[in-house]
Amino acid sequence: MKINKTKKVRVVVTGLGVISSLGFGKDRFWENLIKGKSGISKVDSFDTIDHSTHFGGEVRDFNPDDFMSRKKAQVMGRASHLAIAATKLAFKDAKLDCKKLLFENTAVFLGTTGGESQKIEEMDAVWLEKGVDAIDRMSIIQYPVSNISSNVALEFRVKGKTQIFTTACAAGNYAIGYGFDFLRLGKADMVIAGGSDAFSYLSYTGFNQVRAIAPEICQPFDKNRKGMIPGEGAGIIILETLESAQKRNAHIYAEIAGYGLSCDAFHMTNPQVEGVSACMESALKHSGIIPEDVDYISAHGTGTKFNDRTESTSIKKIFGSRKVPVSSIKSMLGHTMGAASAIEALTCCLTIENSLIPPTINHETSDAECDIDCVPNVARKHTVDIALNNGFAFGGNNASVVIKKFKD
Amino acid sequence: MNKKRIVITGIGIVSPIGIGKDEFWENLFAGKSGIKPITLFDTSNLKVKVAGEITDFDPLVILEVKKIMDLDRATLLLLSAAKLCLEDGQFQIDEKNTYQTGVAVGTTFGSLNSVSKYDQEALTEGPRYANPSVFPSTVGNSPASRISIKHKIKGFNTTISTGISAGLDALEYSADLIELNRAKQILVGSVEDLSLQTFMGLYKLDYLSGLHSTPACSCPFDKNRDGVVFAEGATMFLVQEADLVQDKTKIYGQISGVGSVFDPARFYRYNPKGTGMKRAMKMALDDAGLKPEDIDCVFANANATRGADPIETLAIKEVFGKYSQKVLVTAVKSITGETYSNSGSLAVAAALGAIAENKISPIINYKNKDENCELNFVLDKAKKQKVTHALINTFGPNGKNTSIIISRYN
Repeated sequence: MKINKTKKVRVVVTGLGVISSLGFGKDRFWENLIKGKSGISKVDSFDTIDHSTHFGGEVRDFNPDDFMSRKKAQVMGRASHLAIAATKLAFKDAKLDCKKLLFENTAVFLGTTGGESQKIEEMDAVWLEKGVDAIDRMSIIQYPVSNISSNVALEFRVKGKTQIFTTACAAGNYAIGYGFDFLRLGKADMVIAGGSDAFSYLSYTGFNQVRAIAPEICQPFDKNRKGMIPGEGAGIIILETLESAQKRNAHIYAEIAGYGLSCDAFHMTNPQVEGVSACMESALKHSGIIPEDVDYISAHGTGTKFNDRTESTSIKKIFGSRKVPVSSIKSMLGHTMGAASAIEALTCCLTIENSLIPPTINHETSDAECDIDCVPNVARKHTVDIALNNGFAFGGNNASVVIKKFKD
Repeated sequence: MNKKRIVITGIGIVSPIGIGKDEFWENLFAGKSGIKPITLFDTSNLKVKVAGEITDFDPLVILEVKKIMDLDRATLLLLSAAKLCLEDGQFQIDEKNTYQTGVAVGTTFGSLNSVSKYDQEALTEGPRYANPSVFPSTVGNSPASRISIKHKIKGFNTTISTGISAGLDALEYSADLIELNRAKQILVGSVEDLSLQTFMGLYKLDYLSGLHSTPACSCPFDKNRDGVVFAEGATMFLVQEADLVQDKTKIYGQISGVGSVFDPARFYRYNPKGTGMKRAMKMALDDAGLKPEDIDCVFANANATRGADPIETLAIKEVFGKYSQKVLVTAVKSITGETYSNSGSLAVAAALGAIAENKISPIINYKNKDENCELNFVLDKAKKQKVTHALINTFGPNGKNTSIIISRYN
């Protein structure tokens, strides 16, 4: 295959778009994030009377009509709505006129856990109540997970490669990582990368049943943490080659230094220190960065006993006694599933840009098993040149992205 | 350019026409259809009662285990294909190579059965009473992850869910990751299973053959074609960098070019101009550094839908120009049925068979010429032909178009 390897292509981030329970658009989101606000509230999407918990990180007051025509919005599911809205915000932020651009050589790489899960939930409810014949054709057509990347590409008339990764809760990092590879191989000059997930009955029920959900607040790395809190949202970053970004005088938030993948190859739901640390090590190695140079770790930090202990132990294993600031914004947003690592990557860009680390809120009691500096409760002024963004998923599918300050 | 040569050195197939590559090739060349009455669920109230079901599939035998806990059908099909592939490629994963080995799988509905099962149980029994052991299988990456768990493959594990093109997208992804030194060998493939959920989806969307005329028939390019015959199956390949393969006789073929584009013409429908299809094929040729005349055979996407087959015909005619009258065209789906995310992989396996045995598998069920679908088809019987370069197409109604060129290794 013809692959451009004559010079090393640098990949930079030039636009950020987010739809979250802490606001739409990077400014509002960041403002709330550094204030340590919580996006967790009582679940509204469905009745939780028969569930053991009742809180979630739902996105409120989101009207897809604000971001796309009603006609188009009516024929897609919520995960697509969220993704398109976040992409539109990212274009605006990148000062790209999405109406004028041809996107001949632009790719769309997204990640998701549940896809348009709300559609299958609708269909299953109809199926049980009225029989299979009553299922609406439009629900079926909106269900396939591949629709999310196709809908984004269709909305903006993108003509390059589109792809959706269903690597569960690390999917956003997979998408960003492959976007980075794709640009380096000269196969695109811009990539719309990120993740999207809509609040899901199935996922809420599943996590509830395995007792992974905390009753009201998410407390990553706290001794008395009680679990994760499911959320929803979308995070999109615009990746460009440095050449393309400089040619149009774009604002550069940060540079993607590299990424790493690994697989626990052990258990569907229990993370392993070996796999998790191998992922971070691989990310650093592929980025040409030594652990001493990392200034901040955006943790996977779900707030479950098992994840936080495993991640803390892995961080200790790699970074030794040096206490790198580690924070989990899932304490504020809950776990936005396939969108999580994308929203966190976007947060790393803002952290680097503002020299300010968002906190891990709800921290009360330190845990000897999580002996890390979790930036408790209050945002911290701190110069961040290099950030490591962790995403770990069901199936032991791990992906970490290294994001660094752009220096010409 | 300092580019790596990415080759395929192992094949594992579980398909409606055979388990293992030898049986698959044998029946493919013989033009033996894999379409049969559905036994996996009750079709008494349905107009369509056939599909490409894998009836002689016993995972206990293939996987050499005594019992199987909590694994859905898609996972069992995929695990079986993976095991057959590792055996065929004579590759063993050990502590030394595990972090240099990855898994990449294309599937779009592989978890749908588990998703719906769990969901419906929660809705009927209440959220506290659904079977918790099903929940981990509801994530899209469950089938692929079980391969890593079973074979202790630690390099990476990726699931791609792009619809019809998912298998080829996973191949491109794997070639890219090897190129960038992220792995030395990758188990790459795809899976879809025959479940009532997926079947009913296609049924209600009017995609299936047999809804309006009887009986259902997978007859690509035929004037009377009326839709797809859905099928299940799993395919896995062992993909490596050629320089690292010691025994070069084990190389089945080389991935020499890829083109993958989105066609933003219409919502969930094919672009009648075939713009994306043409771009994908041209890009693949350009990527491989080949001219249309270099292609010996096109493995068409052709799945017997009324709309898509003529558009693909048009696109092939435009890309191949005058040579479109000569280039041989076949359609694997006439024999296997439409295995959706797995269809690109099955066509790649068919192309590797063509390279190995110097013959091209036929299009079966073709009876009536359609003036909008006229190409140089291989009909009814396999055709003796040396194949050096084969072009494989996967074109989805969701705008995804991926084409790959598989070449003889030398």
